[in-house]
This record gives sequence, C-alpha cells and structure tokens, in this order.
Amino acid sequence: MGKYLPPKPHQTQKRIRNLIIYTILAIIFIWAFKGVWDRADWSVFNNLAEKFQRVIPSLFSPDWNQLDKVWEKIVETVFIAYAGTLIAAILAVPFGFWAAKNMVKSPIWNTLGKWFLILDRTFPELILAIFFVITVGPGAFAGVLTIGLTAFGMLGKLYAEVIESIDMKVVEAMEANGANKMQILFYAIFPQVLPEFLSFALYRFEIDIRASTILGLVGAGGIGTLIVLSAANRNWEQLGLILLGIIVVVSVIDFASTKIRKRLV
Amino acid sequence: MITFKDLSLVYPNGTPGLKDVNVTVNEGEFVVIVGLSGAGKSTFIRSINRMVNPTEGELYVEDENILDLKGKDLRKLRTKVGMIFQNYNLVNRSSVFKNTISGRLGHTGTLKSIFNLFSKEDKARAYNNLKRVNIEEYIYQRADQLSGGQQQRVSIARVLTQDPKLILADEPVASLDPPTSHQVMQYLKKINTEDNITTIVNLHFIDMAMEYADRIIGMRDGEVVFDGPVSEVSEKTFEQIYNRPIREDDLRGSDTDDGEE
Repeated sequence: MGKYLPPKPHQTQKRIRNLIIYTILAIIFIWAFKGVWDRADWSVFNNLAEKFQRVIPSLFSPDWNQLDKVWEKIVETVFIAYAGTLIAAILAVPFGFWAAKNMVKSPIWNTLGKWFLILDRTFPELILAIFFVITVGPGAFAGVLTIGLTAFGMLGKLYAEVIESIDMKVVEAMEANGANKMQILFYAIFPQVLPEFLSFALYRFEIDIRASTILGLVGAGGIGTLIVLSAANRNWEQLGLILLGIIVVVSVIDFASTKIRKRLV
Repeated sequence: MITFKDLSLVYPNGTPGLKDVNVTVNEGEFVVIVGLSGAGKSTFIRSINRMVNPTEGELYVEDENILDLKGKDLRKLRTKVGMIFQNYNLVNRSSVFKNTISGRLGHTGTLKSIFNLFSKEDKARAYNNLKRVNIEEYIYQRADQLSGGQQQRVSIARVLTQDPKLILADEPVASLDPPTSHQVMQYLKKINTEDNITTIVNLHFIDMAMEYADRIIGMRDGEVVFDGPVSEVSEKTFEQIYNRPIREDDLRGSDTDDGEE
C-alpha cells in the first residue's frame, strides 16, 4: 500500500520537538524512580513471605459457619445500593431535564443546572458517608443517602446527555399537531430517553454495589462494618468468606445487569 | 381558505425568509410550491402553522389572523393543520399505532393521553387511517422497522388522525426513491380529492409538481415569482422561477414500478 501514497513530508522541526519532549520525560522518570529507590523502607519486605503464609491460606479457607451473618450483611449491602440508586434514578430525571441544553431555553438557567450537578459530583463518597453517619446516625440509612446523593450527580449528567441527543424532529412533529408540553414529554421525549435512562441506572447500580461495600468502613451500614471488624480481629477466615461473598454477588449482578441493558437499548 | 397579506418574515439572525407575500389558497386546492433550496418554500409552509413566526403582514387561516395566536389558541390552530415532514419524524421506538394515535393528542386531554386512554372512536379512527394508506398490517411493529416510504405513509395516517382541515407537506418525498415518491404523492392527492382537504406541498421536482398539482406557486429569494394553475405552466415557467436552465436533477423520474413492497 505504502508505495502508492505520496511520500510524507519530512518534518525535521517536529522530530526535534518530539525528541526534546521524550528526553525530558525520560529524565523525570529516572529522577522519580531513583528518589523512591533511595528512600524506600525495604525492611517492609523482610518477612513478607512469612506474613503471606499466615494470612493467605486463611483467606482461602473461608469460615462457612459465619455464612448466615455474612449473608445477612451482604443482602443489606445490596439493598443499600438498590435503594440509593432508585432514589438517584428518579431524582435525576428532573435535574437531567434542567441540565439539558435542548430543554431549557435560558442558557443561564441551564448552566446553573449543569453546575448544580457538577457540585454534587465533587463530594467524595466517603466524606458524604461520614457526614451522614454524623447527621442521621450510623446504619443503613446513612448509606442509602450517601449512595443516593453520589449516584444522583452522575445520573443527572448522563440523563442530560441522553436528552440532548434525542431527535428533536419528533418534538417538532408533535408541536405541529397541537400537542401540549406534557403530551410532548410523554409521547415524543420519554419513548426516546427512558430505555437509556434505565440502562444508565442499572449501570450505576453495578457501581453502587461496589461502593456500598466500602461505606460500612465509616459506619454507614452494609458489609463494610464486618470487614473492618474481622480485619481488626485478624479473623482471616471470616474475611475470606466476606470477600468470596462480595465477589459472587457483584459478578452475578454485573452479569445480569449487562444482559438486561443489552436488551433495553 | 388561507390568505397571505403582505406577509414578510425576517429570521432573528437577520436573514430574510419571506418578502411581501400575497397569496390566497382556496379550500380543497392542491398547491405545489416549487423553488430552489433556500427560496423560502419551507418558511412559507411553516408560517401557516406558526412553526416560524412572520414578522410583518397578516395571515388568515379560515378568516382568523393567526399571527398573534399564543398557547392554547395556537395549539388549537395546529390541530386543524396537519404537517408532513421530509424525515417522517416518527418516534422510532414506538409502535406504528402509537405514532398514529399521537396525531390525536391535540384533541385529547393531558391526563387521558398520558395514561393512554384514547376513546374507542379515536383508536378506530387511527386504525382506519392506517388502512387508508395500506399500512395496517404493520400496526404493532416498531416504526424504525419500516422502510422510508412506509414510514411516510404512517406519518400521513398520523396527520389524518388529527382530522385536519389543511395538510402541509414539507418536501415529503425528498428522502425517497422515485417509485415510492409517486406512491406517497398519490396518497396525498387521493386524500385531497376524497376528503376535500386543502393540501400545500413543497417540492423541488418539476415533473412531480406538474403531475400532481392543481396550482403551482414558484418562489425565489423569499418572493412569490409565479402563481397560476398547472395548465399555464411550461418548462419556460420553471426556468423563470429557478432563474437558470432546467437540469436533469430537477426531475424525479417516472413511476416505473409500484413501489417497494
């Protein structure tokens, strides 16, 4: 193929520029790794093998007697994720419309909507969780609120993008036959966006399952609390069971959700 | 009856759309508007249901000046004026039936329509209109599973379901192949004669305009440069309207077979 194309122009200047960039990057890399090498505390690795031998086999021999307790907490984790995502998925609908360019006439008002969602997304999950544990007390409810609020920001943005990508010609057609705003919403807009909304909500549910396993670390309910406890007690057998449970549940839900989402859109 | 009185339109960005248009369209007429793209055909048609807003003059639809209509009154006007689009503008994911009955929205209360509670008569009307354009066998299929010509027929059924006094068609065949184009035009013509619905169609194909129109209005640069019955129109007329010799792509071609099915 190559010889049928005209020769590429020689760009000496560009090559020199690239060479300089690569050299600078190489220097930074070498400098950084050398610093780490010199300052690292290598004694950490001294009895690594011994520690591993103590922990790893226990992790891989889960304590099945704890199954009831662990299962109950895992179910709670899934419920926290479900309730939180449900709140977010519904709450994000009006905000998605607010932040969608093609739905709001005033650009200022629209930008305000976008900013509101950005603001919501800036809160890290764990910080929010700590905040809610303090305000509503430790437990699942704090977890639900945390998940709801963080998922809401992302879903609102995704919804807005879905709404911005719809075919406005259908809206035009409905306007032309005398439909009012509400009817246009239900007949022209919802049929175009709802499957995508649902798909994004399911996707967010997958993320929230993983997120809610962590929330217990700060007392916001779910399996996380048990993780902290069993790690603190060096109860590796129980931790092994917890990890196994999480892996199974997350995989099953991811698998199911992917299947459902494929059929939706 | 539709009357344009010294109607002008300047778009917000300063582009003139219509200049001093004076036209009267009588009830039951089949009018074809021809002109090059950018001549103001779309603006002309869309003024009638106020999808664009003329800036000067008067425009009467059934003796009512429609330029000041707002909100409910404007929606009421639009229920009387059906519109057909180049790209059919159906909801792809909805069924043919749901698309068709959405023509009834202007006549249906908000709550009723949200919960899909159309009256038996409305449902029968929608089905009947699908039958009129011979597309009833696809009633429960998704709109995007149909071919272009079939989708345009669904959009004709949708317009009929709104019981219009007047049908506007904005380049209804520009996305279709010649046989399908003729089919769609034949349906429009049939409805025009059977129901006595005034029909205004934008076309840029000369041969189709000649074949289906009762009357031709020629536009150039936002002005009406020709207006007369089809019997007065010759190739020369089109050359005057287009301000250049006729070319082959101004013609759609003949109805060689019976469409795509």
